[in-house]
Amino acid sequence: MGRMTSKARFLAALAGQPVDRPPAASIVSVATYELMDLAGPHFPEANVEPEPMATLAAAAHERLGFDSVMPIFSIAQEAVALGCEVDWSESTMMPNPATHPWADRSAPIRLPDGFPDAFLEDTYVRCAVEAIRLLKRHFGDRVMILGKVMGPWTLSYHLYDVQEFLYDTLMDPDRVRRSLDTLQAVPLVFAKAQLEAGADAIVWADHATGDLVRNTMYRDFLLPYHQALVPQVPAPVILHCCGPTLDRIQFFREAGFAAFHFESQVPPAAALAETQGKLRLAGNINNPVTLFARGPAEVRAEAQRAIDAGIHIIAPECAVPLQTPLRNLREIVQTCEANRTR
Amino acid sequence: MSVDDEILRGLYEHTLRGHAAEVRALTEQGIARGIPPLDLLFRGLLPALQEVGRRFELREYFVPEMLVSAKALQGALALLRPLLAETGATPTGKIVMATVKGDLHDIGKNLCNIMLEGAGFTVVDLGTNVPAEAVVAAVREHRPPLVGFSAFLTTTMSMFKVNLDALARAGLRDQVRVLVGGAPVTPEFARAIGADGYAPDANSTVRLARQLLAEVRPEVETAPEGALP
Repeated sequence: MGRMTSKARFLAALAGQPVDRPPAASIVSVATYELMDLAGPHFPEANVEPEPMATLAAAAHERLGFDSVMPIFSIAQEAVALGCEVDWSESTMMPNPATHPWADRSAPIRLPDGFPDAFLEDTYVRCAVEAIRLLKRHFGDRVMILGKVMGPWTLSYHLYDVQEFLYDTLMDPDRVRRSLDTLQAVPLVFAKAQLEAGADAIVWADHATGDLVRNTMYRDFLLPYHQALVPQVPAPVILHCCGPTLDRIQFFREAGFAAFHFESQVPPAAALAETQGKLRLAGNINNPVTLFARGPAEVRAEAQRAIDAGIHIIAPECAVPLQTPLRNLREIVQTCEANRTR
Repeated sequence: MSVDDEILRGLYEHTLRGHAAEVRALTEQGIARGIPPLDLLFRGLLPALQEVGRRFELREYFVPEMLVSAKALQGALALLRPLLAETGATPTGKIVMATVKGDLHDIGKNLCNIMLEGAGFTVVDLGTNVPAEAVVAAVREHRPPLVGFSAFLTTTMSMFKVNLDALARAGLRDQVRVLVGGAPVTPEFARAIGADGYAPDANSTVRLARQLLAEVRPEVETAPEGALP
């Protein structure tokens, strides 16, 4: 097989078609201090200004060799546009929602006035969309450009507060459903804006994880929303959900996603068996131990295990710690390259 | 079964199911009948919370179930705390708890706090997004034998090491045992950064805290689970 472009390789893997070698991907974030030093832009400007954001994202391909680039490093763009307070000024940490407007039970569960136009005009939302536009202009069809949205479950954590939201799944499920109902429009609007700007696929983060809730909660609350929303996104959609998720892949595979980005807590072969061929898999190199604290030999072994198990797209399991050494991230790409078909 | 036993049994059953109103009402009833506060706590409420923790470890319960039980327990503790203070019961030990800088998640830490408090520990909760300097200051002020750090993100768990280094620089590292935990944390990671122990959940945190306390203060006899302090 001839050499494929990064984008063709990623799209083929996403469709379960043959590839010249497994794609190595930045799915959520591979921004690190070393990469910022190499590329130029640092946090916070790479989180809040389109050009620095695009430049740092592009470095995942140009400096490390990943087949995809992901400019939306944080999870807070939508939250701030919907009324959460977020501190964007830190250079040493990912921004996170610090306030939760719906945590006050007397607060009405509704989107801010002017949605969706005002949402799309928000500084941080526009920044992400513009960064994608810059990346598309820069890479054209050579490199896979990923966009990212938070689904209604994760947005509920932000708007509602994780603890209050999870409490209400048992004590006030109607309020939980109102929250999901209200927020379902947000990822659709944001995804479409990113696709129009040039994204080739969308990563959809919805953390109904086994660390927090039982699998039937995904099935009963969130699956119907995913089944209704995902087909409305005119591009492949990759679900991201952290933590132990093996027991819910049986439901993820019915939701319409093209792929599932999963963590190292789930054994690759078991995950693959659970998909029954209905989902492609991306992941699942361990962040805190392998990528952060160990060396290239261990990264190579883990990436090779994932490839041997049949994982379609090889990637860190989640946003990598900012102190992750670049030699370890490069080793993911080199291991994929070593598996090129002759 | 005596009326008192029925109240204790009811406290257990309703705490297990997170029925906050019933737990509060039964606690009031128990106090009014003169049941010793320590009995209400250690024969009714805490065994239920231990069972909740056990079910969580077995993945029969998840965070929502723990939250509703913990909230029910908190309502009872609010009534019992002043009465327990009057009994002069000695706290098991003191622990400073913090979610590391850069991390705003507090759900796991809060559940640990409730379990620790229920087990007789005095918990000094520094909250979320806590800088290492604040931890050092709290250790200087409160002189706890134990410090617990929580991180929910792979991007923030590296802050454990920053805190451990700050405690060492301040000359305090030898005076405390450090526990770490959080969704992405592993025992191997905890060992690699030099923590004294790792706990995967709230129940294990109590066990680990008791164990580390016994190491650091062998002269203090720590109460076994479910026993009076």
